[in-house]
Amino acid sequence: MLLLAEDLRFTPPGCPPVLDGVHLVLYPHELVDITGPSGSGKTTLLRALARLLPGVTGTLLFAGAPASEVVSGEWRRHVALLPQRATMRSGSVRENLSLPWNLRVRGTETRPTDALLREALDGVGLADVELDRDAAKLSVGQAARISLLRVMLTAPDILLLDEPDANLDDASAEQVRAMVERFVDGGGSVVRVRHLRSDDLAARRYRLADGHLSEVL
Amino acid sequence: MPETTAGGVIAISWLQLALATGFVVFVGVLSMRLALGIEKDLAIATVRTYIQLIALGLVLRWVFGIDSPWIVLAILALMMAAAAQTIVKRAPDAPRGILGSSMLTMLLTGFTVTFAVTGLIVQVDPWYRAQYVIPIAGMVLGNSMNGVALALERTFADMDTHAEEILALVALGASPWEASGDIVRVAIRAGLIPTINSMAAAGLVFIPGMMTGQVLAGADPLHAAYYQIVVMLMVSAATALGSVMAVLLSFRRRFSADGVYLEKGYRT
Repeated sequence: MLLLAEDLRFTPPGCPPVLDGVHLVLYPHELVDITGPSGSGKTTLLRALARLLPGVTGTLLFAGAPASEVVSGEWRRHVALLPQRATMRSGSVRENLSLPWNLRVRGTETRPTDALLREALDGVGLADVELDRDAAKLSVGQAARISLLRVMLTAPDILLLDEPDANLDDASAEQVRAMVERFVDGGGSVVRVRHLRSDDLAARRYRLADGHLSEVL
Repeated sequence: MPETTAGGVIAISWLQLALATGFVVFVGVLSMRLALGIEKDLAIATVRTYIQLIALGLVLRWVFGIDSPWIVLAILALMMAAAAQTIVKRAPDAPRGILGSSMLTMLLTGFTVTFAVTGLIVQVDPWYRAQYVIPIAGMVLGNSMNGVALALERTFADMDTHAEEILALVALGASPWEASGDIVRVAIRAGLIPTINSMAAAGLVFIPGMMTGQVLAGADPLHAAYYQIVVMLMVSAATALGSVMAVLLSFRRRFSADGVYLEKGYRT
């Protein structure tokens, strides 16, 4: 297995438990969906898997290595979270796509060339978006795809997607779905949070309610 | 004919103090009529002004008479502690535990800038002469305290506003500084703007307090202006140094040990 979460527990200060003994297994080359009502803790679970949730307890293993033996920055290179709201920094599309390579953690890696960025944009239905375009002028759907593309370009092993097609028009949502499908076909694994519905990409489906994760058969 | 002091300054009597208080009473009545709801705060502030400034006058009179470096240093330490405490109160969005870094900031910037002015520029002799050291320290600390409090409050309020962006950057591998550096820079700038505006408007829109005091005390206006320039420049330097230092010493407290931003709801 690629990722194993066992007995994850998290109780926000002054609130009832949000994760109350969650177990999850993710195999290579598969996508699992997690559904559940608003406020059930789906986003919290993704943050726990990405080690972006201080105070969570339980066991996390990536490719057999316990989280305690992997520094958090290294973990997040393999297990990448894409938050629900697309975040664009001020600057051009090129600057936003290249952002991960401005960070110290990837300082020694070769940054993607313009040709590669262009090809990547063309491949996700953004042929009309120039690399020089001001990121502030992107539509919601374009920003969502560029955010997803940015994290995919860092080549993680696992993508944690928080409602990646929420608030998107049908065409943009379909493009996002196609990007995710290609990522899985290329050998990646995905944990995808959805508000209610699921689709045929998922190998397994889980439902999170009252702090517990149960498989939907 | 009003009385004058030894320095030629027209003395203020209790009657004149009462007359000035009458104006505040008028504002209080206005507040009640217009339901502004500030009359209680105004009354408390007025009483505090009386008590604090009269106490200050008495303490300074005593300190000037004793002429001891230890007393001067003790008073400076008290002023710095009070400034640090005020910073903590004025930055409610800042994380707990910033008192130490505020104290260190006030100590370093306050001492450095105050003694740079009194020792290197004004060349006070002896170095601890209370008549110079305490008022200049008061101006340096008071102004840098305001700038530091503003920069800290802005830093932590803006970090909360941009929590999602910080999370996204940390998820991409950003360190706390990489994730929040832009926000911190904006906050430090915000802390410095009142000081820069004050420098730009000095002499045109208002006569700064120190210069006013010296002119009222009978000093040559040009000499008073020189003093004021020195103080304004040093106060600006203190505010800039203090803001940078306080923010850099404290912004990391909003992140966990492994670099995760602690949003509202996840803080203990």
